[in-house]
Amino acid sequence: MQFERAIQALCDAEVEFVVIGGLSATFHGSVRITYDLDICYSRRPANLRRLSDALAPFHPRPRGFPTGVPFFWDEKTLSNSTILTLRTDIGEIDLMAEVMGLGAFDDVARDALEIEAFERQFRTLDLPALIRAKRATGREKDLAALPELESLLEAEAPEKPDSEG
Amino acid sequence: MKTLRALAPEQLAVAEARLLNPAPGSRIEAARNYGIDLTLLVEQLRLSPAERGRKLEDASNVLDKVRGIARRRS
Repeated sequence: MQFERAIQALCDAEVEFVVIGGLSATFHGSVRITYDLDICYSRRPANLRRLSDALAPFHPRPRGFPTGVPFFWDEKTLSNSTILTLRTDIGEIDLMAEVMGLGAFDDVARDALEIEAFERQFRTLDLPALIRAKRATGREKDLAALPELESLLEAEAPEKPDSEG
Repeated sequence: MKTLRALAPEQLAVAEARLLNPAPGSRIEAARNYGIDLTLLVEQLRLSPAERGRKLEDASNVLDKVRGIARRRS
Protein backbone atom coordinates (compact mmCIF):
# COMPACT_ATOMS: atom_id res chain seq x y z
CA MET A 1 0.00 0.00 0.00
CA GLN A 2 1.39 3.35 -1.01
CA PHE A 3 0.13 5.31 1.97
CA GLU A 4 2.17 8.37 1.09
CA ARG A 5 0.76 8.74 -2.42
CA ALA A 6 -2.78 8.22 -1.21
CA ILE A 7 -2.49 10.71 1.65
CA GLN A 8 -0.79 13.29 -0.54
CA ALA A 9 -3.47 12.93 -3.23
CA LEU A 10 -6.24 13.43 -0.67
CA CYS A 11 -4.54 16.41 0.95
CA ASP A 12 -3.63 18.05 -2.35
CA ALA A 13 -7.25 17.77 -3.48
CA GLU A 14 -8.33 19.35 -0.16
CA VAL A 15 -10.51 16.38 0.73
CA GLU A 16 -12.05 16.54 4.22
CA PHE A 17 -11.04 13.24 5.77
CA VAL A 18 -9.80 11.58 8.94
CA VAL A 19 -7.42 8.62 8.90
CA ILE A 20 -8.87 5.78 10.96
CA GLY A 21 -8.01 2.07 11.27
CA GLY A 22 -4.59 0.50 11.11
CA LEU A 23 -2.64 3.51 9.86
CA SER A 24 -4.04 5.57 12.71
CA ALA A 25 -2.98 2.81 15.11
CA THR A 26 0.52 2.95 13.62
CA PHE A 27 0.73 6.70 14.16
CA HIS A 28 -0.09 6.07 17.83
CA GLY A 29 2.63 3.43 18.21
CA SER A 30 1.11 0.13 17.09
CA VAL A 31 3.56 -2.28 15.50
CA ARG A 32 0.91 -4.25 13.60
CA ILE A 33 1.23 -4.05 9.83
CA THR A 34 -1.82 -2.95 7.91
CA TYR A 35 -2.35 -3.44 4.21
CA ASP A 36 -5.02 -0.85 3.55
CA LEU A 37 -5.82 2.76 4.15
CA ASP A 38 -9.08 3.46 6.01
CA ILE A 39 -10.51 6.94 5.99
CA CYS A 40 -13.72 8.59 7.15
CA TYR A 41 -14.86 11.32 4.79
CA SER A 42 -17.38 14.14 4.82
CA ARG A 43 -20.44 13.57 2.64
CA ARG A 44 -20.78 17.24 1.73
CA PRO A 45 -21.32 17.39 -2.06
CA ALA A 46 -18.21 19.45 -2.73
CA ASN A 47 -16.15 16.98 -0.72
CA LEU A 48 -17.54 14.01 -2.62
CA ARG A 49 -16.40 15.68 -5.82
CA ARG A 50 -12.93 16.35 -4.41
CA LEU A 51 -12.65 12.78 -3.12
CA SER A 52 -13.77 11.37 -6.45
CA ASP A 53 -11.25 13.53 -8.33
CA ALA A 54 -8.43 12.70 -5.91
CA LEU A 55 -8.75 8.93 -6.33
CA ALA A 56 -9.74 8.80 -10.01
CA PRO A 57 -6.10 8.68 -11.27
CA PHE A 58 -5.63 5.45 -9.32
CA HIS A 59 -8.55 3.68 -11.05
CA PRO A 60 -10.58 2.59 -8.03
CA ARG A 61 -12.89 -0.42 -8.26
CA PRO A 62 -14.78 -2.15 -5.48
CA ARG A 63 -12.93 -5.21 -4.23
CA GLY A 64 -14.59 -8.34 -5.48
CA PHE A 65 -16.33 -6.47 -8.32
CA PRO A 66 -16.56 -8.73 -11.41
CA THR A 67 -13.78 -8.09 -13.92
CA GLY A 68 -15.01 -6.94 -17.30
CA VAL A 69 -18.07 -5.25 -15.81
CA PRO A 70 -17.86 -1.45 -16.14
CA PHE A 71 -17.65 0.50 -12.91
CA PHE A 72 -18.25 4.23 -12.88
CA TRP A 73 -16.30 6.20 -10.33
CA ASP A 74 -17.69 9.62 -9.58
CA GLU A 75 -19.34 11.60 -6.81
CA LYS A 76 -22.66 9.87 -7.49
CA THR A 77 -21.03 6.54 -6.65
CA LEU A 78 -19.86 8.05 -3.41
CA SER A 79 -23.21 9.66 -2.61
CA ASN A 80 -24.99 6.32 -3.10
CA SER A 81 -22.98 4.49 -0.46
CA THR A 82 -21.60 5.00 3.03
CA ILE A 83 -18.89 2.33 2.84
CA LEU A 84 -16.72 1.55 -0.16
CA THR A 85 -13.91 -1.00 -0.07
CA LEU A 86 -11.72 -0.23 -3.06
CA ARG A 87 -8.80 -1.75 -4.91
CA THR A 88 -6.70 0.94 -6.58
CA ASP A 89 -3.39 1.16 -8.45
CA ILE A 90 -1.73 2.21 -5.19
CA GLY A 91 -3.36 -0.31 -2.87
CA GLU A 92 -6.56 -0.99 -1.03
CA ILE A 93 -8.49 1.97 0.29
CA ASP A 94 -11.61 1.78 2.45
CA LEU A 95 -13.87 4.82 2.49
CA MET A 96 -16.37 5.25 5.30
CA ALA A 97 -18.87 8.02 5.77
CA GLU A 98 -19.65 6.69 9.25
CA VAL A 99 -17.57 4.85 11.82
CA MET A 100 -19.11 2.32 14.19
CA GLY A 101 -18.95 3.50 17.77
CA LEU A 102 -18.19 7.09 16.74
CA GLY A 103 -20.77 8.31 14.22
CA ALA A 104 -20.63 10.34 11.04
CA PHE A 105 -17.76 12.49 9.82
CA ASP A 106 -18.42 15.49 12.07
CA ASP A 107 -18.45 13.23 15.15
CA VAL A 108 -15.26 11.52 13.98
CA ALA A 109 -13.58 14.86 13.28
CA ARG A 110 -14.31 15.97 16.86
CA ASP A 111 -12.21 13.04 18.08
CA ALA A 112 -9.36 13.73 15.68
CA LEU A 113 -5.84 15.07 16.09
CA GLU A 114 -3.73 16.96 13.58
CA ILE A 115 -0.71 15.05 12.37
CA GLU A 116 2.16 15.90 10.06
CA ALA A 117 3.37 12.88 8.10
CA PHE A 118 4.10 11.95 4.50
CA GLU A 119 4.98 15.63 3.97
CA ARG A 120 1.39 16.72 4.55
CA GLN A 121 -0.84 17.83 7.43
CA PHE A 122 -4.06 15.94 7.99
CA ARG A 123 -6.20 14.42 10.72
CA THR A 124 -6.23 11.06 12.44
CA LEU A 125 -8.34 9.62 15.23
CA ASP A 126 -7.15 10.11 18.78
CA LEU A 127 -6.27 6.92 20.62
CA PRO A 128 -9.36 6.65 22.88
CA ALA A 129 -11.66 7.09 19.85
CA LEU A 130 -9.69 4.53 17.87
CA ILE A 131 -10.12 2.05 20.71
CA ARG A 132 -13.88 2.77 20.88
CA ALA A 133 -14.20 2.23 17.13
CA LYS A 134 -12.24 -1.04 17.20
CA ARG A 135 -14.30 -2.31 20.11
CA ALA A 136 -17.58 -1.31 18.44
CA THR A 137 -16.98 -3.37 15.32
CA GLY A 138 -16.73 -6.55 17.39
CA ARG A 139 -14.67 -8.10 14.59
CA GLU A 140 -12.01 -10.55 15.70
CA LYS A 141 -9.15 -8.68 14.03
CA ASP A 142 -10.21 -5.39 15.62
CA LEU A 143 -10.65 -6.92 19.07
CA ALA A 144 -7.21 -8.52 18.73
CA ALA A 145 -5.71 -5.05 18.29
CA LEU A 146 -7.14 -3.80 21.59
CA PRO A 147 -4.55 -5.12 24.07
CA GLU A 148 -1.79 -3.30 22.21
CA LEU A 149 -3.75 -0.05 21.82
CA GLU A 150 -4.91 -0.08 25.43
CA SER A 151 -1.32 -0.60 26.52
CA LEU A 152 -0.22 2.41 24.52
CA LEU A 153 -3.01 4.48 26.05
CA GLU A 154 -2.02 3.40 29.55
CA ALA A 155 1.69 3.92 28.87
CA GLU A 156 1.14 7.47 27.67
CA ALA A 157 -1.45 8.50 30.26
CA PRO A 158 -0.45 11.53 32.33
CA GLU A 159 0.87 10.67 35.74
CA LYS A 160 -1.66 11.06 38.53
CA PRO A 161 -0.46 13.57 41.15
CA ASP A 162 -1.41 11.26 44.05
CA SER A 163 0.66 8.42 42.58
CA GLU A 164 3.84 10.47 42.75
CA GLY A 165 3.93 10.35 46.52
CA MET B 1 -7.30 21.00 17.57
CA LYS B 2 -4.55 19.05 19.31
CA THR B 3 -1.58 17.69 17.39
CA LEU B 4 -0.18 14.19 17.56
CA ARG B 5 3.54 14.60 18.22
CA ALA B 6 6.50 12.50 19.26
CA LEU B 7 6.66 11.91 22.99
CA ALA B 8 8.80 14.37 24.93
CA PRO B 9 11.82 12.74 26.65
CA GLU B 10 10.15 12.76 30.06
CA GLN B 11 6.91 11.30 28.63
CA LEU B 12 8.91 8.63 26.84
CA ALA B 13 10.75 7.74 30.04
CA VAL B 14 7.44 7.25 31.88
CA ALA B 15 5.97 5.21 29.01
CA GLU B 16 9.06 3.01 28.81
CA ALA B 17 9.04 2.37 32.55
CA ARG B 18 5.37 1.40 32.45
CA LEU B 19 5.82 -0.88 29.44
CA LEU B 20 8.97 -2.61 30.67
CA ASN B 21 7.74 -3.02 34.26
CA PRO B 22 3.97 -3.40 34.02
CA ALA B 23 2.03 -2.65 37.17
CA PRO B 24 0.13 -5.66 38.53
CA GLY B 25 -3.44 -5.63 37.28
CA SER B 26 -2.69 -3.06 34.57
CA ARG B 27 -3.80 -3.30 30.96
CA ILE B 28 -0.12 -3.39 30.03
CA GLU B 29 0.37 -6.49 32.15
CA ALA B 30 -2.72 -8.03 30.53
CA ALA B 31 -1.29 -7.28 27.08
CA ARG B 32 2.04 -8.89 27.98
CA ASN B 33 0.17 -11.97 29.20
CA TYR B 34 -1.83 -11.91 25.94
CA GLY B 35 1.44 -12.17 24.03
CA ILE B 36 2.21 -8.59 23.03
CA ASP B 37 5.96 -7.91 22.81
CA LEU B 38 6.12 -4.71 24.82
CA THR B 39 9.74 -4.03 23.85
CA LEU B 40 8.52 -3.49 20.26
CA LEU B 41 6.11 -0.84 21.52
CA VAL B 42 8.97 0.88 23.32
CA GLU B 43 10.98 0.98 20.10
CA GLN B 44 7.98 2.33 18.20
CA LEU B 45 7.31 5.05 20.77
CA ARG B 46 10.87 6.30 20.35
CA LEU B 47 9.93 7.31 16.80
CA SER B 48 7.83 10.29 15.79
CA PRO B 49 4.35 9.58 14.37
CA ALA B 50 5.69 10.50 10.92
CA GLU B 51 8.57 8.04 11.28
CA ARG B 52 6.10 5.33 12.33
CA GLY B 53 4.08 6.00 9.19
CA ARG B 54 7.17 5.85 7.00
CA LYS B 55 8.26 2.58 8.61
CA LEU B 56 4.83 1.08 7.91
CA GLU B 57 4.98 2.20 4.28
CA ASP B 58 8.42 0.60 3.87
CA ALA B 59 7.29 -2.67 5.49
CA SER B 60 4.10 -2.72 3.45
CA ASN B 61 6.02 -2.23 0.19
CA VAL B 62 8.43 -5.05 1.00
CA LEU B 63 5.53 -7.38 1.79
CA ASP B 64 3.76 -6.36 -1.43
CA LYS B 65 6.88 -7.37 -3.39
CA VAL B 66 7.08 -10.71 -1.55
CA ARG B 67 3.40 -11.36 -2.22
CA GLY B 68 3.95 -10.52 -5.91
CA ILE B 69 6.86 -12.96 -6.16
CA ALA B 70 4.82 -15.66 -4.41
CA ARG B 71 1.89 -15.09 -6.80
CA ARG B 72 4.13 -15.37 -9.87
CA ARG B 73 5.67 -18.63 -8.59
CA SER B 74 2.32 -20.27 -7.82
